Amino acid sequence: MAPIIKVRNLHKRFRDPARRGQWLEVIRGVNLDVEPGEVVVIIGPSGAGKSTFLRCLNFLEEPDGGTVEIDGVEIPAGVQSHERTRQIIEIRMKAGMVFQSFNLFPHMTALENIIEGPITVRRWPRERAIAKAEELLSWVGLMDKRDEYPIRLSGGQQQRIAIARSLAMEPKIMLFDEPTSALDPELIGEVVEVMERLAKEGMTMVVVSHEMHFASDVADRIIFMEGGNWVEEGPPEQLLRRPQQERTRQFLSHILRDRDSGEPTRP
Amino acid sequence: MSRDYLVKVTLVWVAIFVLLGLLFWLLRFDVAFMNHWVGFLAQGIGYTLIVSIISIILAVGLALIGALARLSKNPIANGISTFYVSFIRGTPLLVQVYMIYLGLPQVGQSLQALGAPQWFADLFVLPAIPAGILALSINYGAYMTETFRAGIQSIHGGQREAALALGMTPSQCMRRIILPQAIRIVIPPVGNDFIAMLKDSSLVSIMGVMELTWRASKVGRRYFRSLELLSIAAGFYWVMTVVLQTIQGRIEERLGRGRQR
Repeated sequence: MAPIIKVRNLHKRFRDPARRGQWLEVIRGVNLDVEPGEVVVIIGPSGAGKSTFLRCLNFLEEPDGGTVEIDGVEIPAGVQSHERTRQIIEIRMKAGMVFQSFNLFPHMTALENIIEGPITVRRWPRERAIAKAEELLSWVGLMDKRDEYPIRLSGGQQQRIAIARSLAMEPKIMLFDEPTSALDPELIGEVVEVMERLAKEGMTMVVVSHEMHFASDVADRIIFMEGGNWVEEGPPEQLLRRPQQERTRQFLSHILRDRDSGEPTRP
Repeated sequence: MSRDYLVKVTLVWVAIFVLLGLLFWLLRFDVAFMNHWVGFLAQGIGYTLIVSIISIILAVGLALIGALARLSKNPIANGISTFYVSFIRGTPLLVQVYMIYLGLPQVGQSLQALGAPQWFADLFVLPAIPAGILALSINYGAYMTETFRAGIQSIHGGQREAALALGMTPSQCMRRIILPQAIRIVIPPVGNDFIAMLKDSSLVSIMGVMELTWRASKVGRRYFRSLELLSIAAGFYWVMTVVLQTIQGRIEERLGRGRQR
């Protein structure tokens, strides 16, 4: 099967204000192929470029070099054109994104948040969008919050609505940018559960997360990223149990220790 | 605050009013004269309100355009907007009023000398009320451009990203996501501006708009009873302001409600 995501030699750099505006290479020539239905989890220390990489996939960040191809729409970095603007919108409709800080629209109810994309972007009739939204609301288990404003929802509920909002556009790919990092520990489970069901239903997913349960149970492949490059990648059992690179081992021992220290000690 | 304290404050207000009444009595205020003219002055309230309401609506439109231009990446739009705000905020409203009332007809005349037809030159000679509305809306539009810009910029960047990630165009994002939130934020300052404008609208009296201040000064001068009539006018402005502040408070309360837990 042809990959649904094809990234070639991706580069991204920022000006670093801390170093008098010198260029800082954040992504250094990364390649990635993702098969339809595959779940890829990217882990790595903060500043590794994970989020930036994810945001280059739907052009929230403009790459400085390389190409991104999503479901047959290929966009090279740099060139600006009217045609390209249209292609970027096409890619964004194919690849939904879920953010760390949810970013629900606070002036709209849960339902209005979900129907906004289909109505404004896809030009669906309102009834069709509402039918789809209600289906998604019950799918994420929040039908009773249909008419609540986001401020009255918990973080976990907000994130589930945000996932439903993305799914309403009927994307072929879902990008998750640290979807559980802003959540209280007891609320992480409900979001992870929704993501697991999504994976089971065959959604292609690229997830930036340190949620190790999800990574080990659901991911088809884990990539360890550091310094703007892939350090190591492989299926969970290999990367988590038998990492080949010293850096991967160090990183994993850090996050696994941190996580264990937060749990009650067993007798 | 204790009830007792509020009673004391109220008593101070009452005392001030009594003293003012005493002062008016000492100054031999002509109450019969005031009674005779109060109706004539009251008719000016309509002009004051109409001029203010139309001006604030036009000013909001100008401010919205100004703010979007200011925030756009287009250097022409940005340049025009920053010039507009800087020039208007840097010059007195009174000078702007004179420029439109006295300066514009001169522009028309000069254009006619350059060969423009008569009807075109006549467009520059504005009747008093449109001239007043134009001056106020241009002036307040400039101040409110900054308010709107700040309101738009105060919306968290994540909102824009979420909208774009859904596939919205920048203009859809502005219309559907950013502006509805920004407008909520700018309603209180726009309300303040409206109240301020109500009072600044007195400046258009110099163009001969028959509003409150024009009537008070016109009649007052004729009979050398300016103090009486200006006091009435001041009272009218005051009452209108208090009423508007109350309405504004209600609106803000209602706006706040939707956002509370």
